[in-house]
Amino acid sequence: MGVVMAVPRHVACVMDGNGRWAALRSLPRTAGHEAAEAAVMDVIEAARSSGVTWLSLYAFSTENWRRPAVEVDVLMRLVRRAIRKHAPVLHARGVRCRFLGMSDPRIPAPLVRDVADLMTLTRDNRRMTLTVAFDHGGRRDIVEAARSLIRSALPADQVTEASFAEHLPYSDTPDVDLVIRTSGEQRISNFMLWQVAYAEWIFPQVLWPDFRATHFRECLDAYRRRRRRFGDVGRTATTTGEGPR
Amino acid sequence: MSRTTPQESADVFGPDSILRRLVGQARWALPVVRATLLEAAHPQIGAALMEHSTFLTHPWRRLRNTATSARRILDPDPRVRDREVVRLNRLHARMSGTDAQGRPYDATDRDARAWVVATLFESTVTMCRLGGEVLDADAMRRLYDEHRTFLALIDGGSDRLPATLPEFWPYYDHVVEHRLENNEAVGVILYRLLADVPAPPALRARPELWVMGRSVAGPLATAIIVASLPESFSRRVALPDLPGARTLMRSTYLAAALATRYLPESLTRVETFMGLAGAGADPWASVRRQAGKAAALVRLLTPAAEDDGETVRSADRFFAEVLDQTGDGYLRWPDLAAMAREVATRLDLGEHDEERLFQAYAAWWRELQTALDGDGDGRVTRHEYAAAAASLPGSGLIKVADVLFDVTDADDDGAIDADEYHNLFRTAFQRDLADGGGTSYSRGAFVRQFVSFMSGQQHSSAYASLLSQA
Repeated sequence: MGVVMAVPRHVACVMDGNGRWAALRSLPRTAGHEAAEAAVMDVIEAARSSGVTWLSLYAFSTENWRRPAVEVDVLMRLVRRAIRKHAPVLHARGVRCRFLGMSDPRIPAPLVRDVADLMTLTRDNRRMTLTVAFDHGGRRDIVEAARSLIRSALPADQVTEASFAEHLPYSDTPDVDLVIRTSGEQRISNFMLWQVAYAEWIFPQVLWPDFRATHFRECLDAYRRRRRRFGDVGRTATTTGEGPR
Repeated sequence: MSRTTPQESADVFGPDSILRRLVGQARWALPVVRATLLEAAHPQIGAALMEHSTFLTHPWRRLRNTATSARRILDPDPRVRDREVVRLNRLHARMSGTDAQGRPYDATDRDARAWVVATLFESTVTMCRLGGEVLDADAMRRLYDEHRTFLALIDGGSDRLPATLPEFWPYYDHVVEHRLENNEAVGVILYRLLADVPAPPALRARPELWVMGRSVAGPLATAIIVASLPESFSRRVALPDLPGARTLMRSTYLAAALATRYLPESLTRVETFMGLAGAGADPWASVRRQAGKAAALVRLLTPAAEDDGETVRSADRFFAEVLDQTGDGYLRWPDLAAMAREVATRLDLGEHDEERLFQAYAAWWRELQTALDGDGDGRVTRHEYAAAAASLPGSGLIKVADVLFDVTDADDDGAIDADEYHNLFRTAFQRDLADGGGTSYSRGAFVRQFVSFMSGQQHSSAYASLLSQA
């Protein structure tokens, strides 16, 4: 089991600390988002080369719409530019890209089109699946799944965890094994609530724009050490994270 | 025998029907296009085509529907055949009026129908001749009889076509020399349709490639058709006779005949190409998928344009792609009738449902006319539509959505399930971003989505493919 679990199958990152990174340098908050792009590309490459097959990134939550309109606007442009810039590389590296959420009409149409194009372009890739949670809310996904379940008119006593999960968006996504939340914040923030049920959480102090492949590998090492210790005392891999750190 | 009446139960074409075999072959498209041109030159048919047909804006859809219809009429099962005949007659009964010169026309005109079958017969014979195939006297007679049977099926009698082959040729020459005219429809087919033919759905994703290919293939196709027309017709219509065109035309027919004879049958069947025109699961699915990916990459690599004026453009595009089905730049009753016809064809509706659908569209048209036709000329211009589009969704449109829901909901369970959805849109359910997806559509959600799509407020790729597929 230790060998099988050596590399987490599904890693999720909550990309926190862009604003603080900018504030420390007396830059506008948007400069932090701009600097985040390099970290994103570094982590995607690190995850792919270490054998992680599912990577999820929390880019924008449903709550983020409350931020100043100018910042949201700049963020949308940045995402669009990043998609256009990196699409060929992602495709060449066999990364399948998917966007989770993306339902708000406030998302600019050109961005929606580019996102759709990126998903079309990469949909047959199998080396790694990158899920970008954009305009995402974990509770909303669960509510949507409930609605879809009710519409399917399944009798109440036949609803199981597995059959419920089939109604979640991208139901082929496996449970998250490891969540990395940068900048030392220790909250879930409504992120993929259903999928993180059994995840290990790691909270590095580094701010997201400074997060690099080395940090990512350190996190994978930390994950491996935790898992090995569980193995030593003979517990199953799906226990929740109350084990010794 | 001057009148062949369809028998109720038997396979009237016989098990070894020549026509049935030919209709299954992709090369039959050559005589069909040629025959269409000769039909268009007939005053009655030309007028009906110009007024009602969507072939200019949606040639691929039209081609697909025509091929499906012909195959159904030739179906050995008399129920399939009779149902299609009744449907065709209903469809054509709705097309009549007066042309630009004030002459009345009627799509159920019996002489016009006989002429349609005559051109098909003559074009098929031409295809065989140019393909180097021998049609002996017996085969020729059988082919002619099958065409007369075909006419008897759709028209109830075949007395408008000469009873025997020796009488047919003088009839044909007479019509070509005395009845046909150089009308607008001929010009449109020859010089606009082939030059501007939109990409078939399978290749829609690569418009730039299509435009480049078309600029070469369009004139070539025109040359091939022109070169194969009867000499006396070409002379009267003053069609260009370019050096090499005949050789090109002959090579094309010969190549099609050789391909049909020597290539594996699966490659030259019409189904293979129907897939290109966007019908169902097929060998082209992977081509479409690859083309979709390539186009996505091209779009992502093209420098991003700054995105202002997006909404204005999209209203214009919506008008051109969805509302103006006949492509004359105006919204008129034939446009809405074409939408109703396409939906009725896709769902294969019976008479009652079809009538309800047309009624609903007619009510919506009256509402549109009252609300939008500012100058009272019986048509709504792009500007009239754009000026009032926001205030549009009225009771007429909701009524259309309601009836559309009823007729799509084939099992009357009050919801549209995956199969019913597929029948209408030819795509699987998509996890729709706005509606959260799921496995069935309620009436409320369906009506809401239809109305917001038709009033141009919200894009829906499913409706767009239903109503704008060329």
